[in-house]
Amino acid sequence: MEEKIGVYVCECGPNIADNVDIDRVMKTISSLPDVDVVERHKLLCSENGKKFLKESIQKHGLTRIVVAACSPKQHEVTFMKVCEEAGINPYFFQLTNIREQCAWIITDKELATERAIRYIRAALRRIPFHKALVKKEIETNPDVLVIGGGIAGMEASLLLASGDRKIHLVEKTDVLGGKVKELDKLLPRMESSLDIISQRIQEVKQSEDIKLYTNSEVEEVLGFLGNFVVKVKTGENKELELRVGAIVVATGFSMLNLKQLPRYGYGQYDNVYTALEFERMNIDGKILRKDGKPPKSIGIIHCVGREERGYCSGVCCMYCLKFANYIKSKLPDANVTEFYQDLSIPGKARQKFYEDTKAKGVNFIRSNEVEVMDKVIKYKTEEGEEKTSSVDMVILAPAIEPSGDTAKLAEMLRISQGDGGFFQEEHPKLAPVSTSMEGIFIAGCSQGPKNIPESIVQAQAVAGRILSSLIPGKKLEPEIKTSEISEALCIGCQTCLEVCTYGAIYFDEMKRVSVVNEVLCRGCGNCVGSCPSGAASVKHSTTTQLHQEVVEALR
Amino acid sequence: MKGAILNVTENIAKTIINFLEKGLDKKCFDAVLIPIKVPAGDSFAWVLVQNKSLLKDANPLPPVMPVQGAKALSSITKMGKTNRKIAAIMRPCEVRAAVELSKLEQVNLENIFLISIDCPGVLPLKDYLGRPKEAMDKFNKILHSAQNDIQWGNESTRPACQVCDKFIGTDIGFCQSNLHIGILGTEDKIIFLIPNNESGKSILNEMDIEAEKSVDNWEKKAKEIIEVRKKKRKEVQERLKSEVMGIDNLLDTFSKCINCHNCRSACPICYCRQCYFESEIMKLPSDDYLMRADSKGALRFLPDTLLFHLGRMTHMSLSCVGCGACEDACPMSIDVSQIFNFVADNSQELFNYVPGKSVEESLPLKTYEEDELHKVEI
Repeated sequence: MEEKIGVYVCECGPNIADNVDIDRVMKTISSLPDVDVVERHKLLCSENGKKFLKESIQKHGLTRIVVAACSPKQHEVTFMKVCEEAGINPYFFQLTNIREQCAWIITDKELATERAIRYIRAALRRIPFHKALVKKEIETNPDVLVIGGGIAGMEASLLLASGDRKIHLVEKTDVLGGKVKELDKLLPRMESSLDIISQRIQEVKQSEDIKLYTNSEVEEVLGFLGNFVVKVKTGENKELELRVGAIVVATGFSMLNLKQLPRYGYGQYDNVYTALEFERMNIDGKILRKDGKPPKSIGIIHCVGREERGYCSGVCCMYCLKFANYIKSKLPDANVTEFYQDLSIPGKARQKFYEDTKAKGVNFIRSNEVEVMDKVIKYKTEEGEEKTSSVDMVILAPAIEPSGDTAKLAEMLRISQGDGGFFQEEHPKLAPVSTSMEGIFIAGCSQGPKNIPESIVQAQAVAGRILSSLIPGKKLEPEIKTSEISEALCIGCQTCLEVCTYGAIYFDEMKRVSVVNEVLCRGCGNCVGSCPSGAASVKHSTTTQLHQEVVEALR
Repeated sequence: MKGAILNVTENIAKTIINFLEKGLDKKCFDAVLIPIKVPAGDSFAWVLVQNKSLLKDANPLPPVMPVQGAKALSSITKMGKTNRKIAAIMRPCEVRAAVELSKLEQVNLENIFLISIDCPGVLPLKDYLGRPKEAMDKFNKILHSAQNDIQWGNESTRPACQVCDKFIGTDIGFCQSNLHIGILGTEDKIIFLIPNNESGKSILNEMDIEAEKSVDNWEKKAKEIIEVRKKKRKEVQERLKSEVMGIDNLLDTFSKCINCHNCRSACPICYCRQCYFESEIMKLPSDDYLMRADSKGALRFLPDTLLFHLGRMTHMSLSCVGCGACEDACPMSIDVSQIFNFVADNSQELFNYVPGKSVEESLPLKTYEEDELHKVEI
């Protein structure tokens, strides 16, 4: 069929018209062969402009549209919608940027005009090679797999569970509650941690829509957003196959192994405890030395392993202040000294907590070099002076590390590990709970050290992301502009498999060519860039389309 | 570095062939891939030999390279590994191309036993074809000049070979065959068998060849020649730079090109099923050519000659092993290989990458480093 091509030049108010000679553009483009309609408009993205565009497309029965206006980032979607409303496939449209790339950056009006004409010609050159792309829909499973039954995993499970959405909560140990269950009291109100977490555990256990698997581990994950197939090995040593639409990874953290840092004396001297051991002591109700007597002088050491791990765990300062409160309430006469490198106490309630603690007679010593000897803490002051402090109990605040299974899970789920070995979020600011794999989310300390409210916020954010994207009964629209690999050109080198972040390419051993899974592919183009034989291309930016456009732009 | 010493019986080629026969006897490998003179006597072809008696016509170091060895190996193993062991006797540039192709799954090195030899270079094909006998004499002379000529190889070998600094199949030549055969500095009386890895050692072991002899003299000689070649390579490239830098010089250099794409067909690294420049995309409607003629005043046919070379250069220069096959294949005697080598040296240096050096070294386009390419930052 002979194509009918229309070109629409937007003046963008004065933005384009002031620095591009629209009359000349109109004249030159009108004189080109194969262009059926050339029109101009003051502001095509306005309601009036969109109406004009739609009616003009319909009136002339156009089959291909070029709009010369602003950046595709701004209005590509706008005009694609107009095309759809006018009854033509939105991918038969090309937006060429004569504002940011011409009018705004070239001071000489004549040159800007020539450039604008060149760009429009380039767009005209590629548009006959456009192919109609049609949205696809896939059935989805609304159920969710949550890995990890700590505070984050439980929170996400409770929010997500509903009559039409089942949650499979897989916990490695035999109990729910994670690390929060190992704490005595919670900041700043000093409520009982156990009371709070027990209530959560009860709710999870009572929920009809949460299926709980304790002593269980995820063994294999296949599939993609809306359609994951998961193998779980349960406590009864049975292998289960679950089908879910999304996965929440809330595997928490572990503490730095203090054997790695002998200078803190852990395991060498009596009465040197980790933070969690000290919590345990408080849950049991009594702070006692090994010899059964209460301690008289306690040193609390912050930042243990901060230098080695290369990050601040963010939560230790506050719980070390909490420890001072534990001690002061149980042993008012005991001497308490906090050894810190920097104090991290941001937020609306923490400063007051710090000041209240200080007022109870707790000493604070800033030191970057602290060493634990038998009944003595040796430290260097800020002035560089070597000093010692006699103690009969030491509490260490070790760095928070990714839990032991992180690497294994990262490989299984095809998500990456970032700084410190924690799971890598899709974007540190804009997408902190999603990952590079669509449908796989991270919450709590598996993503990085954080306190309880931060973990809860993440779990709630994950729930929000899943609730809004995986609606029961609603089909998913996967990316249309996916990559495709030509069977005729692929030489089977499998380079693309290595560079695909989404696990969207597999190798067909029979045909010895790479094949794209269109549901997983997000059209990033990594495979296109690395394909040595030109077999991979992204739809709507095919080699032919780009070649034609470039040839004309450079003519 | 340690190796074995074999006494030369008759000549070097015969000694190597005896060694291979023994390897077949002892079932160290089941077949040998080696160049054999074609029946007409005027060229050499790669032959996969299983019958030991046919090895007698083989030449482990032929005077020409009509087909790059890695291409032969790719034909055999493209569809997967061989189940029987093959010993492939190749020049170091052929070994490096094979290793490079294995990273792209075009060669499968499992069960392939790579044997390299000190390479004096090869003669240009066209010098050989007309007068094979005279050429052979010339080549033998070069081969034996190793004892006194510090340049080893002279103006008779191909230009690519004259400036090759990776003609040794051990780590000093950035090449890792399983076993390397050293012939330098031996006065044709002995040859060295130098294992490059465990597999090389174990084969010598199986053949009851003791490999604990010092090869220091050989290595010293090899390093001397490498230094001379490096210097020469630099000089030649400096000269070339002034001749080809800039679009006008490039257009001049390639103006002879007849667009036959022989260079691409002969190149072991150009493995694309269809070259972009032979695809339909490059064929334009006649109006377009007229338009191009309009804007320039005239348009030369066949068109886009330089574009083809620039495209090929961009495409394969990171993996170019500098074997010179392209130059042999050029009917118009364009210095393709020298120009490509020059570009390749620079692009490879940018990624600190030596193609074919090691199977473990990943292709630059497969890896991402945050800290790289500063040299080309704007």
